[in-house]
Amino acid sequence: MAGAHAASTDPNALSWYEATARQRVVALADPGSVQEFLPPTERRMSPHLPLFDLPRAFDDGIVVGRAKLDGKTVLVAAQEGRFMGGAFGEIHGAKLVGLLRAALTLKPAAVLILFDTGGVRLQEANAGETAIAETMRAIVDVRAAGIPVIGLIGGRAGCYGGGGLIAGTCSRLAVSEGGRISVSGPEVIETNKGAEEFDSRDRALVWRTMGGKHRRLIGGADVFCADTVSAFRQAALDLIGRAPAFDLATLEAEQARLESRIERFGDCRDATDIWARLGVNDPEAVPAMATRAFDETVSRVREADHDAR
Amino acid sequence: MTEWRGERQARDARIQAGRAHADGKVVPAGSVVDLLEAVLRPGDRVCLEGDNQKQADCLARGLAACDPGKVHDLHMVQSGIVLPEHLDVFETGIAKRLDYSYSGPQGARIAKMLYGGQIQLGAVHTYLELFARYFVDLTPHVALIAGVSADRDGNLYTGPNTEDTPTVVEATAFKNGVVIAQVNQIVDKVPRVDIPGDRIDFVVEADTPFYVEPLFTRDPAAMTETQILIAMMAIKGIYAEYGIRRLNHGIGFGTAAIELLLPTYGEKLGLKGQICTHWALNPHPTLIPAIESGWVQQVHCFGSEVGMDRYIRARPDIFFTGADGSLRSNRAFCQTAGLYACDMFIGATLQIDLMGHSSTITQSRVAGFGGAPNMGSDPHGRRHPSDAWMKAGREGQVVGDPALMRGRKLVVQLVETFGEKLVPTFVEKLDALELAKKIGLELAPVMIYADDVTHIVTEEGIANLLLCRDADEREQAIRGVAGYTDVGRGRDRAKVEELRARGVIRRPEDLGIEPLDADRALLAAKSIKDLVHWSGGLYEPPAKFRNW
Repeated sequence: MAGAHAASTDPNALSWYEATARQRVVALADPGSVQEFLPPTERRMSPHLPLFDLPRAFDDGIVVGRAKLDGKTVLVAAQEGRFMGGAFGEIHGAKLVGLLRAALTLKPAAVLILFDTGGVRLQEANAGETAIAETMRAIVDVRAAGIPVIGLIGGRAGCYGGGGLIAGTCSRLAVSEGGRISVSGPEVIETNKGAEEFDSRDRALVWRTMGGKHRRLIGGADVFCADTVSAFRQAALDLIGRAPAFDLATLEAEQARLESRIERFGDCRDATDIWARLGVNDPEAVPAMATRAFDETVSRVREADHDAR
Repeated sequence: MTEWRGERQARDARIQAGRAHADGKVVPAGSVVDLLEAVLRPGDRVCLEGDNQKQADCLARGLAACDPGKVHDLHMVQSGIVLPEHLDVFETGIAKRLDYSYSGPQGARIAKMLYGGQIQLGAVHTYLELFARYFVDLTPHVALIAGVSADRDGNLYTGPNTEDTPTVVEATAFKNGVVIAQVNQIVDKVPRVDIPGDRIDFVVEADTPFYVEPLFTRDPAAMTETQILIAMMAIKGIYAEYGIRRLNHGIGFGTAAIELLLPTYGEKLGLKGQICTHWALNPHPTLIPAIESGWVQQVHCFGSEVGMDRYIRARPDIFFTGADGSLRSNRAFCQTAGLYACDMFIGATLQIDLMGHSSTITQSRVAGFGGAPNMGSDPHGRRHPSDAWMKAGREGQVVGDPALMRGRKLVVQLVETFGEKLVPTFVEKLDALELAKKIGLELAPVMIYADDVTHIVTEEGIANLLLCRDADEREQAIRGVAGYTDVGRGRDRAKVEELRARGVIRRPEDLGIEPLDADRALLAAKSIKDLVHWSGGLYEPPAKFRNW
């Protein structure tokens, strides 16, 4: 795998954004604890891509397995954003769904999903869409069984399309500055609504609207972390420890939170308007803030933390 | 009785006519069309300033809005065909003839209009050629230029993007022409006088600040391991071997990767101070880590780069700055520096043929030349030696008296064997030839001619064309680094191995480079934000390059 030779394996130095899916899993878990299911040697590849004369990946762009995190057993899935933008295809989706269903019998301390995806793979759209639905159903079952499902988002492809929907069903989410969470991507919005509505080439706008800081400030993510594997590991441990209950009260609270959010911010033209309304003193300064200063800002915003999801 | 002052009288009449729409020299933005219609005469040669960076866009809009009944058949002599208005004037009949240099974004439309006969083309030039012709036979009657600010006397502050302005004004103002400047604002006192007021006849306060394209910003996040491998080979196999200290870089990702490898890979090879000390180069954001690590002694610039102004201001030991602190760039001088004072040009291209001719023209686009052929050519007028230049000269000399040997500039093409969308870079025949035939160009638009190219670097290796002794060797040397393209697969294996044994072709392993070491971890900056950190927060990238 690219990068394995010369890249640092020191979790404190290894950039999550730069790392491959496999590097992330290995460096995130306790040393030597990763046991991969259906590894590349099994060659479970997409049956559809050859129809389009497209190259396949031996793991169909996702790493799944079992690992230890601080001594506790967890199940891990990591999408490879460098293969077809981490998109969901039939095998890719089946590996994730299978892992989640296995959690019901294996009873791990948590399931970690390392999102890095543009959504469903267009070449196998029906299978991909089905996989999204099955994944969300499986997450509901896992959470109902009392097992937290934690999403970690900070990869090159962001977390878009069906990935954004799945993220919404997780117990908790951690995101870095480079991470983006949304359903429709910037180009899709621009294509449908015009550049006046959303200029996808204005990357500062994209990040203000979908990026890690914005998601954290409005409570769309629960931890904002630096772009290192060790920061994501710490975030995962932290979030496993404070996963919310999964019951009717939680769902009703989430419904109420989303309704009030539209009411409060529905007329805002830019994320900075929302941040100002949330009580951030200098919204224009948020994008350039370093992690620590941003954490302090978040700590003063009441709505950023909730158990609703 | 010979009339010796006809041009001067015509100029006075134009200015007189224009004054009706001005308060002194100052013209409100709303009166631009009136001013232009008063000053311009049918058939005038007009320089509408604009190149690959800044644009006199307010004046361009004004010119396009003129009445073709009053203003028509102009002969446009300008660096860049970049804005839609630059071509609109040919559709309405305001302009008829064109001599230009660069046409990046309008390349497809200009090809169509040339084919359709809407434009009578003089020639596509390099920047320096066009500037030279301003002083010989393409002297503008009217120049429409752009600056940051002016006072009411017309003293002009061009700002960091000085670029072509001094050259255009020199040719126009001193040969009975009229100079009209658009500025972002009229001030009581300009920060620095880039153009004295007696060379500026009218000043228009533009409705919006003039546009500048951030053409020289390359996002480290998009750099690939292949580009890093190519950059490593270039540094070890060319920069180090020839001891290149004075140079120019193109705008591609390959050269940007080299800039980012200097403080890491270059440092490891112990090359600091030995290479890359003096530059003719725009202020590339990707050069920041090398500057901050002490690699760079000085940089002269063609223009500025969006977001770099504060950083440049804080580094006057490196850049050319005025008493006011801001960058002073100058395209004509920097192009001359690139041509005569640099030992190497290294840049990318879209197509290379079997002899090494290269072109950025595809079947439907005329991109123009800009300045690359000035940098990427061996100047036969050079008379000063340097170690790098002499070494290249020795390698290239085949016959003749060694006592009469002269040096060679290194002209290096840095390409991946397959370009964007897996289009092969190496071809049997350049698309430029087909296009020249189609639209009737007398001269095929070749960016860099084969006899100027000294090295081609791809992910497969380096071909040193200086060491080739005949056309067949040259072809096999090029095929030998052309990878899995049809050209590459058509190689004579035995001949390529022989060339490799002679060091004409060198693979990564011949250079002691392990391809698996080509990792993004080697980049001194992996993102635009890293560049901001390197600059101590002084670099302010434009929104399109920010992922925060």
